[in-house]
Amino acid sequence: MNFEAVIGLEIHVEMRTKSKMFSAAPDGFSHDPNTEIAPLDMAFPGTMPVVNKQAVINAIRVANALHMTIDHTLYFDRKNYFYSDLPKGFQITQQARPIGKDGYVMIKVPGGEKKIRIERIHMEEDTCKQEHFMDYTLLDYNRAGVPLVEIVSLPDLRNGTEAMEYAEAIRNIVVYSGTSDGKMEEGSLRCDTNVSIRPCGQEEFGTKVEIKNINSFKNIEAAIDYEIDRQSRLLLSGDPVVQETRRYDEASGKTIRMRLKSDAVDYKYFCEPNITPIKLSDEFVDEAIKTCPELYDAKEKRYLMAGLSQSDADILLSDPEMAAYFEEGMPLVKAPKDLANFLIVEINSYLNKETKAIAELPLKPATLAEIVMMQETGGLSHKQCADILAKVLLNPQLSPEKAKEELHIVAQVSDSGAIMGFINAVLAANPQSIVDFKAGKDRALGFLVGQVMKASHGKVNPAEVSRLLKEELDKRQS
Amino acid sequence: MNYIDLSLKELHEALVAKKVTPLMLTEEALKRAHENKDNAFEYLDDEGAMAFAKTLTEPEKDNPLWGIPYFAKDNFSTKGIPTTASSNILNGYVPVFDATVVAKLKAVKAVMIGKTTLDELAMGGTGTTGHLGKTYNPYDPKHERMIGGSSCGSAAAVSASVAPFALGSDTGDSVRKPACYAGLVGMKPTWGRISRYGLFPFAPSLDHVGYFTRDVYASAVLLDVLAGRDNRDATSSAKPIDRYEEDLNKPVKGMKIAVLKMVTDSVKDEEIKKHFYASVEALKKQGVEVDYVEFGKDLLESLYATYIVISCAEATSNDANLDGIKFGPYKGGKTYQEVMFNARTAGFSELIKRRFVIGSYCLMRENQEELFLRAQRNRAKIVERVNEILKDHDFILALSAPSIAPLFTQASDKLSDEYLIADNHLCLGNFAGLPSISLPLGYEKGMPYGVNFMGRAFEEKKLFQMSSAYEAITGLAETSALDPKEAKL
Repeated sequence: MNFEAVIGLEIHVEMRTKSKMFSAAPDGFSHDPNTEIAPLDMAFPGTMPVVNKQAVINAIRVANALHMTIDHTLYFDRKNYFYSDLPKGFQITQQARPIGKDGYVMIKVPGGEKKIRIERIHMEEDTCKQEHFMDYTLLDYNRAGVPLVEIVSLPDLRNGTEAMEYAEAIRNIVVYSGTSDGKMEEGSLRCDTNVSIRPCGQEEFGTKVEIKNINSFKNIEAAIDYEIDRQSRLLLSGDPVVQETRRYDEASGKTIRMRLKSDAVDYKYFCEPNITPIKLSDEFVDEAIKTCPELYDAKEKRYLMAGLSQSDADILLSDPEMAAYFEEGMPLVKAPKDLANFLIVEINSYLNKETKAIAELPLKPATLAEIVMMQETGGLSHKQCADILAKVLLNPQLSPEKAKEELHIVAQVSDSGAIMGFINAVLAANPQSIVDFKAGKDRALGFLVGQVMKASHGKVNPAEVSRLLKEELDKRQS
Repeated sequence: MNYIDLSLKELHEALVAKKVTPLMLTEEALKRAHENKDNAFEYLDDEGAMAFAKTLTEPEKDNPLWGIPYFAKDNFSTKGIPTTASSNILNGYVPVFDATVVAKLKAVKAVMIGKTTLDELAMGGTGTTGHLGKTYNPYDPKHERMIGGSSCGSAAAVSASVAPFALGSDTGDSVRKPACYAGLVGMKPTWGRISRYGLFPFAPSLDHVGYFTRDVYASAVLLDVLAGRDNRDATSSAKPIDRYEEDLNKPVKGMKIAVLKMVTDSVKDEEIKKHFYASVEALKKQGVEVDYVEFGKDLLESLYATYIVISCAEATSNDANLDGIKFGPYKGGKTYQEVMFNARTAGFSELIKRRFVIGSYCLMRENQEELFLRAQRNRAKIVERVNEILKDHDFILALSAPSIAPLFTQASDKLSDEYLIADNHLCLGNFAGLPSISLPLGYEKGMPYGVNFMGRAFEEKKLFQMSSAYEAITGLAETSALDPKEAKL
């Protein structure tokens, strides 16, 4: 029997705003536990929530990027339950009226694109962080009240790869809209997935299993594909799939049961009485959208138009700071592709070696562009420029021009008169190579170019040598 | 007789003339508070109050609250001063911030003497359920009669002339009812007029900051200070505030009042009714137009149930933070559930637990439609009716309560109209969030009773104007249990 998987994703994204969702405490600048807390975050009696305007702007931008209908009145609700990580005993969320609904995102699938519908996006607040030990638990309230957006997909995804593509598409939007750093490894983007399978052709859904604790995009794919396989094997052997919550264990590559799920908890939702409905003017919503930083897709398009390959564009865009660096240098070079090459090869290997982020690169985009220009118009080879770059990275005080001097790098000679002098001398010394070339041995040309380079001590432009040498050889009678 | 017994206006003049100092007033207030036998205080801040009063040496002529002692109900957050909301669950809790109203009063240099008792967590109307036990009515030295609640301690403190004013909170009638039983002016303005930041929530959609004074003038000038937008309370209004005392004692000719007929009709005490009608006639003589209006019996009878459902539902959520982890007594437990269960079992009284159960039940998925949402819809209907009446009238007038303060032993028939309507209609002002003020009308057996005016949203200034006219009719300004006045009517 063939099964079809039905997958839904609930993605929680921590927003990077200056302050928290409903309090004035700073949002996530410190790693020292319990240092970023306002009385509200610990639910001190008498504290009241005040909606963070930037969080609303972010949510609008994400909703717009996901082609959603944006609610111009904000409503908040209380989700009531007791848990040790929940300071107030309720979470303020948007149950009845999410800020955005009925959207979609396009994902890449083999042979084209697929539309994944999105049910809703809403704002809410994070809980505090728990660290469990043998006989006690520590609570860190820094995370309590951090603004979240939750994005809930409709069950349009069919396999792990699609789910991963979808999560990455969401990541790209939240990252490039400036909403979040979108790091699954650090928990700033969290993904709960619901997986069920049904015989192909069956309308009704199978029993849903929830998978939590997936900590990377790659593991979304792995966890779901494992789970589909597990459920298929169960059904084929006549065992039922039970409703439960599982977690993905990276080491074994398996999902493991956390708890059986009985009927869903009753959260006793009701409207948050301390936040009266907030009307958003058309101007406010339009302005939020208009001022949204350029998104991934638009950048990608622009990079390709500028002559970058798809893989170069993908690599640069995988790190928003790298992309920003690239864009700063872009107008300063002739061909952005040359700049991309330096970033992807030389700069990346430097950063890897030094385990630094691009933000820590001791080199301004303009300086890198200057080095790129030495290659583009200054007559230096890529290798020469790479040497200059390495020198400058070692000593950031040094200007590229100075580094070039210190390395005794001189521009390659492209003047044909001068090059012809070397060529004639080399040809006179190597008559056999001329014969070989005429006999169709291409290797002879390479040998002769090498000899010219050697004779000129590398100062001539090899491309130019190759062109002139060919012309000269063609002229000579065999 | 002491300076502290003077009206706020006279007291201010005496302070400006340096006949008395804030320190002398503070000493007197503390002395009276310590000697008081009404069980009105949770905490007396002897050191803090004295220290602050000592710094007040240069009178501020244009600041009527300069150096004036006052009390705050113990459900206002006060930095560094224990605040329990009269509940064991908050024993030992010392807040880290001041409620906005407390900060505002500090800024105008009023001197907070201490914190007053309340019905536990402000839930209750009898002044008997706080963790310190019953609070008594200063008018009844035999301690047989209640003062009402939940702001019982604040009412007792002002009524016993321990201080000229006190802060309270009003979710159903928690300021205005005790004001009525204590012969005081009890005011709660429009929802959103005074910031609630720092007020421990009971039911935020109904909660108001209110306060007790001994005359209408003090009530008006206090609102000058307390009112205004607060960025920490998103529900506070940005509407400009008024000079609320400006129109006091101006003619009220031409103003229109709707008297709630059903309320008076359900009152059994003929003596009280007689005085009420006499006061209405006196208003008419001043050119006030009076209509006796039907509100709708069904709606009035539904007030109590609607109130219980909404207030308990909100309360169960608001107090969910008191879980023994951050707040509340730690009573041990192997799991977080056990820790919470043990703390909440020990910390809350049975009455509070009962309210939580009711609230939780009303919010359950299978009951929400039939209970919570239905109550919300009914609230909207009630509010619509109130606003309909206020379209044609400036005020709605009714007796604040059907009787003088009840005996502790007296059980009310919870299904009678007298209870359901005459004893519960003040919550109209909470449902609609309208400004509402209780004023003394007279005495029976030496115990005060009063009336209530409710006005349109943000028309507090006009409400004070009418109140000053009514005060002139009854002659019951600056009353206190120490020195009861003769009612004029």
